[in-house]
Amino acid sequence: MINFEYIRASSVKAAVDALAKNPTGGFIAGGTNLIDLMKRGVTVPTRLIDINNLPLKEIEESKTGISIGALAINSEVAENELIKNNFPLLSMAFAAGASPQLRNMATVGGNMMQRTRCTYFYDTTMPCNKRQPGTGCGALNGYNRMHAIFGTSEKCIAVHPSDMCVALAALNATVEVSGIKGERKILFTDFHRLPGETPDKDNTLQKGEIITGVTIPFNSFNKNYYLKIRDRASYAFALISVAVALEIKDGIIKKASLAMGGVAHKPWRLTDAEKYLIGRPVDPGHFQKAAYLAMKGAKGYGQNNFKLKMVPIAINEALTKAIA
Amino acid sequence: MDKIIEQTDIDRVDGIQKVTGTAKYSAEYDFPGMVYGVLATSNITKGIINAIDTKAAENAPGVLAVITHLNCPELPGYKSTPEQDKLVPTKKGYKVFADNIIRFNGQPIAIVVADTFERATHAASLIKANYTKEKHNTDFDEAIKSGTPLEGNNFKEYVRGEANAWINAPVKIEAEYTMPIEVHLPMEIHGITVVWDGEDKVTLYEKTQSLSGTQRNIVRTFGLKEENVRIITQFIGGAFGSAFNTWPHSMAALIAGRKVGKPIKLMLTRNQMFNLVGYRPEAKQKLGLGASADGKLMGITHEAIAMTASYNEFTEGIVNGSRSLYECPNVNTTYKVFPLDLSQPTWMRGPGETTGAFALESAMDELAYALKMDPIEFRLKNYAETDLERKKPYSSKYLKECYELGAEKINWKERNPEPRSMKEGDWLIGYGTGSGIFSAWRGAAKAVAKLLPDGTMILQSGVTDMGPGTATAMTNLAAETMGLSHTKISFEMGDTNLPPGPMQGGSGTTSTLGTAVFAACENMKKKLAAMIKDNAVFHTEIVHEVKVEDLVFENGYMMLKTDKTKKISYAEVIKSAGLSELEISEDSKGNPMLNHSAFSYAVHFVKVKVHSKTGVIKIDRAVSAVDAGKIINNKTAESQIIGAVVGGIGMSLMEEGVIDHRYGRWVNNNFADYHVAVNADVPNIEVLFVDKPDPVLNPIGAKGMGEVGIVGFAAAVTNAIFHATGKRIREIPVTADKLI
Amino acid sequence: MDKNLKKEGRRDFLKKSTALAALTIATPAIIKAGENDERIAALFEKIPLNLEVNGVVHSLSVEPRVTLLDLLREQLHLTGTKKGCDYGQCGACTVHVDGKRINSCLTLAVMNEGKKITTIEGLADGDNLHPMQNAFIKQDGFQCGYCTPGQIMSGIACINEGHANSREEVQEYMSGNICRCGAYPNIVDAVMQVKKEGSNHD
Repeated sequence: MINFEYIRASSVKAAVDALAKNPTGGFIAGGTNLIDLMKRGVTVPTRLIDINNLPLKEIEESKTGISIGALAINSEVAENELIKNNFPLLSMAFAAGASPQLRNMATVGGNMMQRTRCTYFYDTTMPCNKRQPGTGCGALNGYNRMHAIFGTSEKCIAVHPSDMCVALAALNATVEVSGIKGERKILFTDFHRLPGETPDKDNTLQKGEIITGVTIPFNSFNKNYYLKIRDRASYAFALISVAVALEIKDGIIKKASLAMGGVAHKPWRLTDAEKYLIGRPVDPGHFQKAAYLAMKGAKGYGQNNFKLKMVPIAINEALTKAIA
Repeated sequence: MDKIIEQTDIDRVDGIQKVTGTAKYSAEYDFPGMVYGVLATSNITKGIINAIDTKAAENAPGVLAVITHLNCPELPGYKSTPEQDKLVPTKKGYKVFADNIIRFNGQPIAIVVADTFERATHAASLIKANYTKEKHNTDFDEAIKSGTPLEGNNFKEYVRGEANAWINAPVKIEAEYTMPIEVHLPMEIHGITVVWDGEDKVTLYEKTQSLSGTQRNIVRTFGLKEENVRIITQFIGGAFGSAFNTWPHSMAALIAGRKVGKPIKLMLTRNQMFNLVGYRPEAKQKLGLGASADGKLMGITHEAIAMTASYNEFTEGIVNGSRSLYECPNVNTTYKVFPLDLSQPTWMRGPGETTGAFALESAMDELAYALKMDPIEFRLKNYAETDLERKKPYSSKYLKECYELGAEKINWKERNPEPRSMKEGDWLIGYGTGSGIFSAWRGAAKAVAKLLPDGTMILQSGVTDMGPGTATAMTNLAAETMGLSHTKISFEMGDTNLPPGPMQGGSGTTSTLGTAVFAACENMKKKLAAMIKDNAVFHTEIVHEVKVEDLVFENGYMMLKTDKTKKISYAEVIKSAGLSELEISEDSKGNPMLNHSAFSYAVHFVKVKVHSKTGVIKIDRAVSAVDAGKIINNKTAESQIIGAVVGGIGMSLMEEGVIDHRYGRWVNNNFADYHVAVNADVPNIEVLFVDKPDPVLNPIGAKGMGEVGIVGFAAAVTNAIFHATGKRIREIPVTADKLI
Repeated sequence: MDKNLKKEGRRDFLKKSTALAALTIATPAIIKAGENDERIAALFEKIPLNLEVNGVVHSLSVEPRVTLLDLLREQLHLTGTKKGCDYGQCGACTVHVDGKRINSCLTLAVMNEGKKITTIEGLADGDNLHPMQNAFIKQDGFQCGYCTPGQIMSGIACINEGHANSREEVQEYMSGNICRCGAYPNIVDAVMQVKKEGSNHD
């Protein structure tokens, strides 16, 4: 790791200004992914702006929803009563992610900003269009067991590794960001992007912008479940995860929100499945049909072909568990 | 015999050091002026280094030296003789910085020495090499298809009775089993601290399972006098076989330390742990088994293919278990090894046998199903009463007891043998079993016992302890043998300045060292008895001279058997003799076992749950019944088997080393991508010991257990998965995707 | 301003810079370090750091790139905290920062300004071991001992967090600490023992 300049920012404006002065710099919050990337030479910032002292840690209730500061710690959000009571799906997703130690370090904003765990991205001697545009995608014809089946491009088949983000996508959250030009809001589902021709861009954040918080609107979902399938019982990234939020009344699905992790470059909303389910009675046959509809456009790359079979099973199982 | 060694399970004698963080591992020593060594490694797999640019590294702040093949000093051990030049490449080995040849991806090409860890790490990243690449092959399948296997005595076919007799049996199965590379990955990253005293004398704090082996390697390589090479290994943070060799990074640290003339510390990275300190080789095995209709084995054919490095012939006994575990008149085995452009494999817990037992014990289950016989009944029907391979009786064998103990514990008879017949909610339930066999042996070692005037005893031997609790077991053994509280005994180890101890590993440490410790204690008692034979304390009207047979040794006292009130303390004997200490030195001479075969045995029983939809697998229960001879300390012994089973859970369900053959480079060389079992993967593990002494192997009756606890476990899991799901998975690890 | 920041007020360099841009610059010289070759001046490479480790206040000067783990092991010689992977994938480096368990390999030392660190060396009170340390010995919750400090720090936190209500819960909340010797069942026994005996000691 190169040595770098280290600055502690004490206001959002100061942080944004400090970054603007050195575009090869970066923000550091929990550090659980950034330090890892710096150790491996994947990210080489010459200036680190420590934003941990910014006043962005609160979890606050408003009339329409709950806002979570970008620097709220994952474990604290997961155990927060407001969150547990209003968005059990989010607490479940947090509990399924990383380890207790990492959840005590990682922030909400940092979790959103974490990079893919694709091995080719991490090994600087390997080709990777995300790390170094134009070098090719090592995973495309390589080790791609963990990789995407939806929304891929020939440039990149990496997945976003977060559990939290899958739940936030299902919960129709909004991201608040701040930059030189002021503040703006981004729909959570628009925050992360598909790789397309520019897989080096993970998200739609503009240069110099900082995430200040996430707001989740109150909802009427009365059935929630987060299913995570992985290669061991805990402390592993998802092969597939499914976030299910349903409003069921009198045996009829009134509202449905479904998102998946481990299958795409971003949390993957299952809009076709949702549309199908809404208005239909709770029934295993409908769950199966919804799962089938969710597979539109799926494509395997060899080692991850099993996901084509496992994804509908997982959707079905998550729906079943949600109503149990 | 077993009366002498009563069972008391003392807590680990090094427990306090381990729970307070004061236990020192090899990279945790501090010396004034300490510098740090970091390796730069190749990013090609095969070829030649044309040029290597070290300027940026040399100019980086804090850098003291950069050593590559270009400026590596001529070492005595690096000169090859004309005979060595004639050897095939797999016999030649590889010496770090000795030449410009790249043999595997990630091979060290330079060591950078700097005043801080961060500076050394950064400077190492600045090393740039220019290579001429050659076509490489790291793909095992490709080697089998188009490569040439190694030749030599290690690859002779074994035939007993008729070869391939299974083909003509009325009931038979043939199947192929594959397992990937597995990596030891002890939690302590391999590290070393080197302190040179001039050019000819060195002290090393090294992670090694063999002090004398490491000493020998360094003496030879650097042309030093043995007394000038001291190795200290107080604690090893796990090894499982990865710390027998003196690896390139250790030699690099030695070379660099001598060059800069300062104490140097080098710790590998976790990534480097995958290709610089060995691994268990990938293997493909074909088993043909045939039996009579009533379940008597008629033929076993076991063909194994494994891999090694292009520069190192590594072989292990993959097919050995198939020759001796069951009674079968017709057995033939073949073993082939293909060299690949990878770093070298090495022994890993239960070497050979673990790989072989996965195939053999899976095949036995398949044949039991073909015979419609209970898998345990089938094994009992083919129970070997003598070793048919060596034509010798067993020194002891309580495998039958293992079957019985384990089957009862897991309630085997309640198992419905029909696959996919047992359920708990959404979960399919399966029970499986697998047996393990591993050689028991006794090697040579020396132990010294010193009794001091304060009544305490010091035991000494140059052994190391990677975790099984050797010091604890030896303290336990000495306490019971001497009749002395374990709190009065200290065991000194981990230093070549001590009497030469055995290596730590191969399931032979307790058998070997225990023999020497036991002999030292027994002799000590004789000596003490001789010193007090005329002591008036013991005299009665009939007895005027006491012999050792007349005495009992308890709580630090010699007492007359017939009248325990007549006693004298060890301390008093030493004191009144005016001695500063009473020292006894004893050897274990090794036991060539000319008339017997000796093995430890384990039978594993596993209950698995497989989710009927998602294929997610959980080990719900594991019961392991073990014949390891006499158990010296139940607590640490049980922990060893638990640990081996946890290794078996990883092996069967998740561990898989993956190399991208296009680049010849590891792609999951970290703990996030190469999964080992975590706490949530592991159920309560029930360990049962037969606990009967082996009367032949050594005087303490102990066999060995470190290895056998993992042998056969993977098959128990895959057999249980078959029982649960009806799916026979012959390729480990079994992940959920293979079951949907 | 949260409480951590207030504590920093003591430090000289902070006083110099807070007013201007609400930007707390480590030292004025540091600014240049990033823009010039690292080699030019050792002076620019280190910044002051104050933290408390096991009750002892340290005033140090460290490079920003030094992790808390390497600071503990290589500079403070507190080698009880272990390096098992250096990437947050094993838990061997677990320490408590202001009472919370974290992976010390993934936090820069300088990010812990003003914080209270507890390592394995800070648990025992003289010869009196922490109940968790005793329980690990009693239950044989280790073999090689290398992951043990991290396991113990995690075990204490697991109970303090209220996640030791059943064996299954302990297993899940102790899964961030890998033990390759496979002492897991005994580790769970140790945590359950301490939970049962009741301990508020940290």
